[in-house]
Amino acid sequence: MKVTIQNLTKCFGATTAVNDFSAVIESGELIALLGPSGCGKSTMLNMISGILPVTKGKIFFDDEDVTDLSPEKRGVGLVFQNYALYPHMTVLENICFPLEIKKVKKEERIARAKEMAKLVHVEALLDRKPSQLSGGQQQRVAIARALVKHPRILLLDEPLSNLDARLRIEMREEIRRIQQETGITTIFVTHDQEEAMSISDHIVLMRDGFLQQIARPQELYDEPANCFVADFLGTPPINKTYGVVKNGTIVLEGDCTVALEAAKNLDEGREVILSMRAEAIIVNDSVPLAEGTIDEVYVMGKEVLAYVQLGSKRVRAYVEADEEYGKGEKVKIGLKKRGVFVFDKETGERLV
Amino acid sequence: MKQVPSKSVSRFSLEKLKNKSEWLIYLVPFAVGVIIFTLYPIINVFLTSFKENFNYMTKEFSGWGLGNYTYVLQDPYFHQALKNTFFYVFIVIPISTCLAVLIATLLNQKIKFSGLFQTAYFLPMVTSTIAVGLAWRFMFNYKSGVFNYFLGLFGIDAINWLQVTTGNFPALCIYGIWAILPFTIILLLSGLQNIDPMYYTAAKVDGAGPIRIFFKITVPLLMPTIFLVMIVNTISCFKVFNELFPLFSGPGVANNLYTAVYYIYYQFRIQIPSRYGYATAAAVILFGIIFVFTMLQRIIEKKLKN
Repeated sequence: MKVTIQNLTKCFGATTAVNDFSAVIESGELIALLGPSGCGKSTMLNMISGILPVTKGKIFFDDEDVTDLSPEKRGVGLVFQNYALYPHMTVLENICFPLEIKKVKKEERIARAKEMAKLVHVEALLDRKPSQLSGGQQQRVAIARALVKHPRILLLDEPLSNLDARLRIEMREEIRRIQQETGITTIFVTHDQEEAMSISDHIVLMRDGFLQQIARPQELYDEPANCFVADFLGTPPINKTYGVVKNGTIVLEGDCTVALEAAKNLDEGREVILSMRAEAIIVNDSVPLAEGTIDEVYVMGKEVLAYVQLGSKRVRAYVEADEEYGKGEKVKIGLKKRGVFVFDKETGERLV
Repeated sequence: MKQVPSKSVSRFSLEKLKNKSEWLIYLVPFAVGVIIFTLYPIINVFLTSFKENFNYMTKEFSGWGLGNYTYVLQDPYFHQALKNTFFYVFIVIPISTCLAVLIATLLNQKIKFSGLFQTAYFLPMVTSTIAVGLAWRFMFNYKSGVFNYFLGLFGIDAINWLQVTTGNFPALCIYGIWAILPFTIILLLSGLQNIDPMYYTAAKVDGAGPIRIFFKITVPLLMPTIFLVMIVNTISCFKVFNELFPLFSGPGVANNLYTAVYYIYYQFRIQIPSRYGYATAAAVILFGIIFVFTMLQRIIEKKLKN
């Protein structure tokens, strides 16, 4: 089912949590709502589920306007961050509960619950109470309970944040598998870029209530719409340097000239941000664009990370493991096309 | 560089002693109170109940035996007292618990003036018993009381609550329920506030209405607290005694409101010469009954849990 969000705004008193947000989520996709804490992503989710009323704007499920519908009438399955499994009910009773409310007959109820339990691999745990389950198992049961009433859309609020690191990887793959098997449109909230990058079809990146970019994960990484998107994604974080356009080059703070080809099209004297991913910086390149000084070199197994002084900024760059550099050594710096961006310093808008 | 062994040793042992006895210092004030005012009287009551023809003044008694128990168990007044007490418990506990759960749930909602309502419900706890008694006597008044006025609205004949034996017991129960509510509501409210609101949200998203949420989510999650208040209230209701005085200044019309504790009080205080043996025997029997009921409740609670 397609979800269309039109100019959605949510205010809590004087603060605006979600600001004029529009997006289209295609049917059958797994979507990550990504952003730093407090960016309005959970508010977004709660408005889609119907728990929170909207201040302005509209939400459509396919062509149906659901903006004023209560959660149960929207047909959403919701998985809470802490799972919210009823502690006094067994796993089976928990999964059955939504059907019980819908007055589904008991035999059918149990049959459907068991089918769901099988899908999420908890069929052996039906008689247990939630307190007797591990975090990952509770998560599975919560997903089964959300799916059992055949919702039109599945919403997960920070589904992996309560799990330990190893389980997190396992569960995110499980969520992907369950989503693919059921084909249900799924939206999940996360602040973890890796989580979002690894399993989602599209990422909706938010900041301070504003939509930043909707794109496929790789596209988001390769073609960030603005400086925030480039900063938010990637480990190690992107190298961010400030400079001014002069004679078709960018002169960084600390008087370091970068002869970037694309800078020729920029207005003279414009203040810009030059962002470079660590893997886009080539040390000792045959076509040098700038000059830097090796500051520090860290060997980390298969890769070697060098800190290079570029003007007044220290940038991280991956170098070949078989090359050796001494501290203070002058090096020629080249840049790849991919992973190098120029943003406007004022607006953060992408220029190159 | 000569060391002074004696000094260092004595200091060392003093510190050790201090550490060892420190817990004692904290314990003593409380322990003394418990021993003097709780443990000693309990043991004394138990022993006295087996002393026949015990004279409190002279501490003389004719011999050890079960004489007090046989007397008390055959005393029709004691039978009446037990009957009244049991009826009181079985009427007050279920009604007060249900009412308290209901009121606490309502108070726990986001309603206007909830602070005002909370204060109103907790007022009985802090109001003087004499004032309360006067107010209740007005309300129970045969001719002009508010209870009979409401009964009249439904076409029910006025009840003479305070002056006729048949009205006494219902009046006592109504007053007892009212008196027990505040404490029960406080405990239940704290239990309710420990329930994570996300369970309600989860149930609402699945389309559960308020009544289903109440019975399927709130009550089961509140069960531990409900059992706690039931156990505490059952014990206090078995000891019904104070409640007799605001309304009747005693055991009702023609002594028809004898309760177990009133019987003990009667043997101990009203009878001249006092019959300490009977009083203590009745007290031990009452203890036995309360003990059995409390254990039963705990067994039921454990069974329900699984």
